[in-house]
Amino acid sequence: MSDVLSKTEEIVKKTKALGADEVIARTTFGRYRQARFSNNQMDITVAWNDYVTDVNLAWKKRVVATQIHNFQEVDASIKKLFELAKVSKENPMFGGFAKGNFKYTKSNADKKLQGLEDPSEYVSEAIGAAEKEVGSQIDSGGILFTKFEDVYLVSSEGPAGVDSRSAIEFSIRAFSEREASGHSVECSSTLKDFKPSRAGSKAGEIAKLAKNPKVGEEGVYDVIYDPLIFGSLLGVWGSMVSAFNILIQMSVFINKLGQKVAPENVTLKDNPSAYSMANRIFDDEGVPTKENVFIDHGVLKKYLHNTSTAKLFKTETTANAGLIAPNAWSIEMDSGDMRREELFKQVKRGLYLTNTWYTRFQNYAKGDFSTIPRDGIFLIENGEIKQSLKDLRISDNASSLLGNIAGISKERQHVHWWGEADPPSLSPYVLIKDVHMTKSK
Amino acid sequence: MEEDIVDYTLEYARSKNVEYAEARAQNQIQERLLLRSGILETYASAIDSGFCVRVIANGGIGFASTNKWTKEEAKEIADLAFKYAKAANRKDKIKFAEEKGIETKWTVNQKEKIENVSPEEKISKFVEINKSLTSCGVNIAATISSCSTDLTSKYYVNSEGSRISSFVPKIAAFVFITVAEQGKTEQAYEQFGYSGGWEAFQEWNATEKMIHNAKVLKDVITKGKAVKPGTMDLICGSEVTGIAAHESCGHPMEADRILGREMSQAGRSFIFKGGPYWIGTKIGSDVVTVVDDPTIEHSYGYYAYDDEGVKARRRFLYKNGLINEFLHNRESAAKLGTKSNASSRSVNYDREAIVRMANTFVLSGKMSEEEIIEGVKNGIYMKSFTEWNIDDKRFNQRYVGREAYLIENGELKHPVARPVIETTTPKFWTAVDAVSKNIKFDAATCGKGDPGQGIPVYTGGPCIRLRGVYIK
Repeated sequence: MSDVLSKTEEIVKKTKALGADEVIARTTFGRYRQARFSNNQMDITVAWNDYVTDVNLAWKKRVVATQIHNFQEVDASIKKLFELAKVSKENPMFGGFAKGNFKYTKSNADKKLQGLEDPSEYVSEAIGAAEKEVGSQIDSGGILFTKFEDVYLVSSEGPAGVDSRSAIEFSIRAFSEREASGHSVECSSTLKDFKPSRAGSKAGEIAKLAKNPKVGEEGVYDVIYDPLIFGSLLGVWGSMVSAFNILIQMSVFINKLGQKVAPENVTLKDNPSAYSMANRIFDDEGVPTKENVFIDHGVLKKYLHNTSTAKLFKTETTANAGLIAPNAWSIEMDSGDMRREELFKQVKRGLYLTNTWYTRFQNYAKGDFSTIPRDGIFLIENGEIKQSLKDLRISDNASSLLGNIAGISKERQHVHWWGEADPPSLSPYVLIKDVHMTKSK
Repeated sequence: MEEDIVDYTLEYARSKNVEYAEARAQNQIQERLLLRSGILETYASAIDSGFCVRVIANGGIGFASTNKWTKEEAKEIADLAFKYAKAANRKDKIKFAEEKGIETKWTVNQKEKIENVSPEEKISKFVEINKSLTSCGVNIAATISSCSTDLTSKYYVNSEGSRISSFVPKIAAFVFITVAEQGKTEQAYEQFGYSGGWEAFQEWNATEKMIHNAKVLKDVITKGKAVKPGTMDLICGSEVTGIAAHESCGHPMEADRILGREMSQAGRSFIFKGGPYWIGTKIGSDVVTVVDDPTIEHSYGYYAYDDEGVKARRRFLYKNGLINEFLHNRESAAKLGTKSNASSRSVNYDREAIVRMANTFVLSGKMSEEEIIEGVKNGIYMKSFTEWNIDDKRFNQRYVGREAYLIENGELKHPVARPVIETTTPKFWTAVDAVSKNIKFDAATCGKGDPGQGIPVYTGGPCIRLRGVYIK
């Protein structure tokens, strides 16, 4: 380990010796495994090993980057990179890389994930759990993904550290009929308490309830969002508090710091802590990560920053670098005061949505978008599920949905799914009033 | 690229008890630049290089990759792939449709070699675009522009005797603008893509296109009127025709979806065995023929052989309004008792090749655009789109107009702000009664796979006229 750290440090020293003003080198040894299944059978199991050093160099406010895959090629690569810096163009907004000598918390990565080679048992266990709900006609598909990364970061500006990052994710979509399905996930940073059967059972339950769907009606509904679909919305809002997205007009939160953007019961934070699939102890500049509350009891408190965007906004980095754009790592919504069942009782006539995909915006600054719920869509009457529906679309606005949150459950689930519920989040059941639903004509 | 290590990987994998083995290597020389409102944020340059092995053993598939070019690593990944394949323990064993081994080399030529274009020239091109945009008489609140060049060498070998080398240079660009007028904003982006050299810039007319987009957005804000919802005719410009061809023809015709292999991510298809739609079923009017064609020279989705070593050809997906031919790789073709039609693509050495589109478009008709417009008494001309999406069975879709005009008595009138068509796949294609002569293409990045594999494609076609559809 220390050998890799010293080699990474050597890259920084050599690049500085060439004349660079500031350098960050980050070496990642990644080990990724994924099993994919469909029609209740394993389609393919995939392993990929990745060895890479990312080097970012600043010279007279010119910022350039490269990737080195082989330590034998260091000299040639950094020489070329420095030449590139010389012909590149100044970025007056570049505020430097983070400075300081930081102490980091100890990484809690699960070494057992490093050694997990055959995940097929987990897959069988989850399909079995779904089958218990759906019956032998079940048709299911999904993935089991594991990650173990060793990350070595050295900056010429002081930060230096080693992090190990582990994650395991299981995703299952179960069909009880051709047009009746349920989807659920189980996400964790460790094998401890990782129970894919939970996801299997929930996907199966939803699939069973979703049988015999009718085409839904257009209209304005009070909607209960399942944690999985709400994770998609959390991802939208988390992306929109990145200071970079504020600068490029891809946010509904432009010029809204200090303003009320949500009801009192809404508190959202970014927190890549130990439990999260996106766990990390430092950001890409080597700044120790921390909890950042960006919406506090409905008030927009901060944007997420790296050092450069923080200087532009006259504030401190929030340890969310990305060297170009700061990113949310892992979003949490504070739990509410109602049980899931109590939340349902609030709904006289509305919908329960469980998953979505294909979220697309007309205009990020205005927030107008649509997205297509998939898997279980249910009509609720007087707090109870009355009918399975299909073929509805949410056609609404990112600001309005945030402003119309009317209830939050005590229960929360750690969710992440494909590119839709991303980044990972700790997501409750949420009731949103007056959601506009449309359909094909 | 160390071909001897790739050959070694194949031989080592073959020495095991496998039904099939292949090794594929990819070396990609990449440059990326990103500008925010004309300021260079970063310039990145890297070489990504690695190889993978895929085997079928006991009817299961195992895949493993690495970017460490050693024989020890080659053995390790081949051992892993073999172990995974055996462990799959499938009831129905996976087979590949038959193909003969092929030995060949293919390349895409460049008129102006990307390697000879300096970073300064690349940067200045985008600084110029930004300058032109900010001086075109429209208030531009922000721009993001990026350019990437990739010089990709591949080497593919399999246990059936195929040995294929290729070299493909690609250049791509993306420009996103926000126009702010009268206290309101509108946004648009444009993607450009080309297989070939720096001459792409002459063909793209990127500056003119972006200035046009900026003026269109200004017009939408200052002159655009909402459409009165109702049933009317709709003319789709090539950009809208192209996205519809991609989303509601190309995707549902991917055989892996039809077979359920993508069910938990990109979804399934409204086409399935025993269902209401299958090969030979009517899906559109007689004038609708949608093809997918990887062989269009210099197209963004161009290839001569796919990533399973199968020779590329044009595929007729919907033909004269009938469902005609699915997109296949060797695995899906074997399951449906046919041959691969070379639709197997992978974005890199560390991703399995899966069924993908290349360049999907509606074939041209006989009418001029003017004749098509003249035939509309009351309708909308949706030249381009902003928000769009489609459900995961590829049946319910929505396109929101970016540049759109009212048509009255065969004449274009004022701009229409964000008209929406939200309809089903058969309703959309059945409503088409006229197709124009001229075809245009747009570059796009098609998303599929887990982990995601964004792959270069063209979408496109002529302008098409839909009769009596609901617009809101």
